[in-house]
Amino acid sequence: MTAMRRVTAIAEDELRLVAVHRLVESGLEIAFPLAPGDRPLVEVGESVTAGAPIAEQLRNGALHDQPVPAGPDTRPGGRVQAGELLFEWRGRWRTVGGDVWESIESPVAGSVREATPGSGIVITTAGQAIRGIVALGGPTRGRLHVAAGADGELRAGGLDVGLAGTILVVGSRIDAETLTRARAMGIRGIVVAGLASKARRDYLASEARQRAALHRLPPFAVLVLDGAMRRPLASPLLDVLAALEGREVAIVGDPPALLFEASDLELPAPALDLVRIRGGDMIGREGRWLGLVGQRRFPGGIHLEAASVRLRDGSIVAVPLGDIERFV
Amino acid sequence: MTTEPRAFLAIDHGAATTSVALIGLVAGAWRLIGSLALPAGAEIDSALHLLRRRVTAVDRDLAHGIGLATEIDSMPRLEVRSRRPRRLTIVAGSERTLSTLIGVAARSGWRVTGASVETTDPLAMTGMLLDRDVDAILTGASDPPAPEERGAIRELAALVAAAATRRPEIPVVLAGGMAEALAEFGLATERPGEIVLAPAARQPGRRRAAAADADPSAPSDPLADLLLELALPDDDPRRAMGTAVQALADALDRRVELIGLGHDASVRASASPAAGGVEGTPKLAVVPGASVAPEEPDDAVIDAVTGWSTLPSDRHRLRDRMRELRIAPSADAAGEGTALRMAAARAALHRLIAAAPDAPGTPSPDLVVTAGGVWSAIPAPAVALALVDILRRPGASQFALDHARLLGPLGAIPDPHERLAVMGDLADDLLAPLGSVVMPAGLHAGRSAGNLLIHADGATSELDLVPGGLELVDLPPGATAVAEFRFRDTVRLGARGRHFAIDVAGGLGGLLVDLRDVPLRLPDRADRRRDLLSAWQRALWAGGDA
Repeated sequence: MTAMRRVTAIAEDELRLVAVHRLVESGLEIAFPLAPGDRPLVEVGESVTAGAPIAEQLRNGALHDQPVPAGPDTRPGGRVQAGELLFEWRGRWRTVGGDVWESIESPVAGSVREATPGSGIVITTAGQAIRGIVALGGPTRGRLHVAAGADGELRAGGLDVGLAGTILVVGSRIDAETLTRARAMGIRGIVVAGLASKARRDYLASEARQRAALHRLPPFAVLVLDGAMRRPLASPLLDVLAALEGREVAIVGDPPALLFEASDLELPAPALDLVRIRGGDMIGREGRWLGLVGQRRFPGGIHLEAASVRLRDGSIVAVPLGDIERFV
Repeated sequence: MTTEPRAFLAIDHGAATTSVALIGLVAGAWRLIGSLALPAGAEIDSALHLLRRRVTAVDRDLAHGIGLATEIDSMPRLEVRSRRPRRLTIVAGSERTLSTLIGVAARSGWRVTGASVETTDPLAMTGMLLDRDVDAILTGASDPPAPEERGAIRELAALVAAAATRRPEIPVVLAGGMAEALAEFGLATERPGEIVLAPAARQPGRRRAAAADADPSAPSDPLADLLLELALPDDDPRRAMGTAVQALADALDRRVELIGLGHDASVRASASPAAGGVEGTPKLAVVPGASVAPEEPDDAVIDAVTGWSTLPSDRHRLRDRMRELRIAPSADAAGEGTALRMAAARAALHRLIAAAPDAPGTPSPDLVVTAGGVWSAIPAPAVALALVDILRRPGASQFALDHARLLGPLGAIPDPHERLAVMGDLADDLLAPLGSVVMPAGLHAGRSAGNLLIHADGATSELDLVPGGLELVDLPPGATAVAEFRFRDTVRLGARGRHFAIDVAGGLGGLLVDLRDVPLRLPDRADRRRDLLSAWQRALWAGGDA
């Protein structure tokens, strides 16, 4: 029995050699970049609520050169009637000004940690976050709706106007056509496990055209959770997302994350020995950690540190240690 | 290590791989007892426990002798940690100066963006400088300012000073003629970020700069040194590589070059041993643009990786795989993932050499050491082949691998005498000999370029030298031989000649005689290129075709 306990303790210790995938984080700091001429509407220490305007973005900023009388705001970054002061040169000031403004709203509640004109605003969020690897577009917010299972794929024909205002969880992957159509139908965002480079490029080209248009659609963002290859959404993540169904959530780009407030909810926690394969032929498959098995030879004629994993179908496989992740 | 410990740990927290090595005092000398390479994110304490179990299982007495059973958690640690390179924004009065400054900064550990007043308006330039992602600003001009800069640098100084007022926390470097504008920045002591005066960048191609680069005892570029110091903290393994390679050169009394390929940046360092009481000065280049897995793989990167790939793949799929390599560098290392890593490593090495090239007249190193997690699972001969595919330098060199990733931690030992002593003890253990490479240049195409006689252990074997091919001679680690080359025509092999006798040392890959073109020429057609690359690799790596 003692030997058995020792073996278990060793296996648990060895599990800590596996890379960690953190499911949910708290107190994330999110950033909103500002360009010279943009006007922050908040100050450091101020609390903001979801939907509150935090800055005005200048869409048609132009450079001017003019004399500016000395005053308390006559300094780089100060504001005068003509706009924002950039720098003084030969007794005159270079300024940036314009008349077309766009509001930037905070997608979540939090407190302002930094507000630097021309540079950016940083907010410490009050809720929790699921990090992704990249977010395209945004920031945006809407009701969360799980539209497809872990291994699902949402096609353009699967969208309808009833989904307007939602952020959709669409499973393993999505194509550029579905993304473009989702934005046009008023859907606020997409959460997906993988987005191929081609779909990403096509969507970004469409997004750039939209940005240049005078009449803009509501904010829209795509949050990619895992990578560029197709793989099912991790089951612990899907469990958390399913628990958040119908709640107001937000997608932000810096850092890429899904933000939510769920202090009244006990989020499902994964089993401690649950591991997921994040590369190779078995990408996306999940199982139970059994322990290290030492160096093994793998295709390509290379030797890698390997672990034994019992997959959900009951089979036991040796997987390179670098191919697996655990959830905390 | 002031309390005379019996063992210590050398830990290199890489961006992709964490390496843990156990160094023990055995018979009065430091020896490498064991090491592990694990995916980044592995908990160090668990790694130490695993290392202890394995060492104890192999040699219980040794483990007891160095206090492994009881002291591993409290052993002294030499730890280094790679961090994501920081961003430097460069602004200059002319495109020519900007280009020079970008070249220097890009090999000094910085991710670089830049603009000159010739092409960028003050609004866009101010936006660049105020970007939240910027960690430091470099503004420079020639010294004295060139004619095309004179009219612009005063206004540029006012612009930079205004941005520096708004971002007081970030350091500003004023290089060359821009130092005259220091007064624009007010009292430097009143801001938390430093204002640093620096010399102008050396103009590439100038005779004085080239001579300094080729002279191993000459100090390196002062601006590059300053930028390296600002970019990387003392415990960064890439910065420590400079001092490590100098200590290795001194310990071995040989000219040493180091090529380190990393997830976030790659390193090229070289050093010559101290001579005549004059200490050697290492040359160090840290190039984020030569990372194995760039953050955003652009078309140039994808094309370069495709060019070295032995597997057919379209651009989009290859870009997907490069993105995955960036996100999870330890994953998918087997099968096709191995081929991808080898192609990405060659492409990164090519970018590294382009960013930090050999100065004309630089002598070939006696020993080329390579390091990096990307090599951790690759067979030794294939590592040597990947290096010589890119390093096309006529001559003979030994190649070795820093297999336990010790150079970073050892280079971070602050006391140079202690560093040299530890390096001297560990040099044999830390270097896995890949073998010797002999690369003649100037061979004429034909059936035979001559022959090679290998004299080893009193016996002689003969080999025909066929231009365009690779010849592999089995010469195990520890063995030495004399390789006698008899070429039909005059070739370059260090010097010009037809008859050469070279002392060669063995290694895991033996002796590799590289009779391919210098520089290497590959077929334009993708399928032929892949076949040729596969054929070369197959000869050195059984099962390497995935």
